[in-house]
Amino acid sequence: MAYTFRGGIHVEEYKLTAKSRTQIINDPPTVRISMNQSIGAPATPTVKVGDTVKIGQVIGEVPETALGCPVHASVSGKVTAINEMRVTDGSMNRTVVIENDGKNEVHESVVPFTKSITDVSPEEITDIIRRAGITGMGGAAFPTYAKIKSAVGKAELLIVNCAECEPFITADHRLLLEEAEKVVGGVKILMRAVGVPRAVIAVEDNKSNVKNKLHRQIGNANFISVKFLKTKYPQGDERQLIYALTGRELAPGKLPADAGCVIFNAATCAAVYTAFAEGMPLVRRIVTVTGNCVASPGNFSAPIGTPASYLVEMAGGLRKTPEKMIAGGPMMGQAQWDPDMPTKKNTSALLLLSKSFSKKQNSPAACIRCGRCVKNCPMRLIPAYIASSVMNDDMKSAEKFGAMSCVECGSCSYNCPGKVEIVQYIRVAKNNIRTENARMKAAREAAEKK
Amino acid sequence: MGYIMNKNSNKQVEMPQLLTVSPSPHLKAPVTTGKIMLDVLIALTPALIWGIYMAGIRAAVIVLISVVSCVIFEGASVKLMGRKTSLLDLSAVVTGVILAMNLPVSVPLWMPVVGSFFAIVVVKQLFGGIGKNIVNPALAARVFLISWAGEMTRFPSPAEPVNSLAVKLGEADIVSSATPLVSLKAGELPEATLGDTFVGNIGGCIGEVSALFLIIGGLYLIIRRVISWHIPVAYIATVAALTYVFPQANDGLKFMLYELTSGGLMLGAIFMATDYVTSPITENGKLIFGVGCGALTVLIRYFGGYPEGVSFAILIMNLLVWYIDLIGAPRRFGKVKEKRKKAKGKES
Repeated sequence: MAYTFRGGIHVEEYKLTAKSRTQIINDPPTVRISMNQSIGAPATPTVKVGDTVKIGQVIGEVPETALGCPVHASVSGKVTAINEMRVTDGSMNRTVVIENDGKNEVHESVVPFTKSITDVSPEEITDIIRRAGITGMGGAAFPTYAKIKSAVGKAELLIVNCAECEPFITADHRLLLEEAEKVVGGVKILMRAVGVPRAVIAVEDNKSNVKNKLHRQIGNANFISVKFLKTKYPQGDERQLIYALTGRELAPGKLPADAGCVIFNAATCAAVYTAFAEGMPLVRRIVTVTGNCVASPGNFSAPIGTPASYLVEMAGGLRKTPEKMIAGGPMMGQAQWDPDMPTKKNTSALLLLSKSFSKKQNSPAACIRCGRCVKNCPMRLIPAYIASSVMNDDMKSAEKFGAMSCVECGSCSYNCPGKVEIVQYIRVAKNNIRTENARMKAAREAAEKK
Repeated sequence: MGYIMNKNSNKQVEMPQLLTVSPSPHLKAPVTTGKIMLDVLIALTPALIWGIYMAGIRAAVIVLISVVSCVIFEGASVKLMGRKTSLLDLSAVVTGVILAMNLPVSVPLWMPVVGSFFAIVVVKQLFGGIGKNIVNPALAARVFLISWAGEMTRFPSPAEPVNSLAVKLGEADIVSSATPLVSLKAGELPEATLGDTFVGNIGGCIGEVSALFLIIGGLYLIIRRVISWHIPVAYIATVAALTYVFPQANDGLKFMLYELTSGGLMLGAIFMATDYVTSPITENGKLIFGVGCGALTVLIRYFGGYPEGVSFAILIMNLLVWYIDLIGAPRRFGKVKEKRKKAKGKES
């Protein structure tokens, strides 16, 4: 029996690169590293234009009291500019531009951790993870050390999210096949950091070929188990993942720790392992470069900050002129306008899709109340009613219909025969409701002061 | 920049300097309103062909007039009202077919035109076009046409299909017959056998006579996932239960089976009560809606002045859809019911 959840959708998988071995890229001519690699405070650059940097050297620091983690150089070379530029999520970020000298020199600070993991305190482990700049690599980029701290004493189960339910992406799949030892090693370190007795590696059943590799690495560590989930979108959403594995429903606004769970992405676990085994902070990640415009789609382990256009060249170049380039998967990824957009710590895929692939509809959007969005909504909302409330500028009703519970998976928009961008309307509602609540709160506080 | 080489073919391929930005999801299922409507038309076909075979060529002419006038009224009102709706969504065609299926074969040829006008212009477009109407257009038009009660309730005998266009009601070329529903209303079991009413060897509106072919169409829609089972099953089960428990004739089981297979019940439960726009969007809501339609149908059939209750029942329930959806809203993920109890506890 495969574990699963209610609702959701079956999407064509398009896993074109499931069998492509990860290729290691070392020499993009320049990298542009954003100082906002995670949720929280942006890092402040600690290097100046003209400085020479080496791989693994800290180039951006965050005060220890703030949420956020340091940023490191991903190539060796010279800092040629520090400027503001737009990154994957559309925001303006301070960005350090490094010209690659091709020498791949590793910084002196990068030294393997020699002590046995059982000899160090969980706090020390957490601090090393912070200093290695590790963030969630699945999408939201929450600093891993902060997640550990929030889960200590609450979580009793560690879940490794290897659902990879988005079509096209195979970065985690390849990681599990090629470097299972890193993932399992990282799990053991994280288990000690959080203090949980059990861990589950949760994989969608379209990746069942990782089973033997994982079991070989787990060996007799029977506190780690592997569970297969039914292949269905959005299985990788943390609420649906917890529900599928434990049957617990996470109430709106609650964190996984409130349900006794802590969730890490497979790539995050591997990054933790690398930070200990090699002493190397998070400076590279696997990016799946794919889509119907790419000549030879593949998986690439590339330095953080590699320009998209360089990755496309590495993937054999273009086969067709793309209309869209998406950072992440097609369901929740963000469309990019700049062909040179640099990757970030949470960029799991680059997707180049042609106009014919994302066919435009001639007819204007009209809801026919078919109910598909209601049936598919994993949060069991009535998406169509939230959308129509927003069309009428009625945010109160949108909130009443549960807009704030929406996880923005896009299952509603995907299956809409009337081609209404339902989830986008809900995003508008969430944004408006948040702004309005903040305004009300400020007004109330101001009134109390008087 | 501007070009990236394809290393497989050594050709330069253009890379736009600015790519298109749009909200996710960037993938869409191939389902469209037009494809759904096409499935509805396919599902209606068996019952429609049987209806034309039974009622005669004149029935085909009525269907044609109804469809063509629906499409013309749709096109004209879309143009006049400056709406950007596409006729390709086929919804006007579906309305035309269903309206014609709800008419007796002997109606004057202007009636489908008037009905189409009422359905498309008054009920659908004046309320905002596709997806915005409150009641089912074809049903509202049928009820509007019942203003001409004589024309709408005289049914030629099933034994003699009407093949000529010129018919005069009450004259010798039309043999009026009592439909099974009229007998049931009088508290007697009809002359037609249950086999006749099931297959459709009875008098009635063009598309409503054959329960068998309507059910086949319904199964097609359920298999294709165009409709869910909730409304038809709840509707038909409610009628079955009520007519079995409170029969109007001495044989309860037979009476129930006649009630199920006569009149517009199957057409209504499978094709009209399930109209997306005018039925609830939630699963619980669909069940409530179906039960409500069934109960009202039986009440009207038993106590109303008109032998048939399906159209009125569905129209009344159409008006309540919004409130039914509020009641039927699914329990939100992670939402616990205890909250309310706690709040009450605090108050007291």
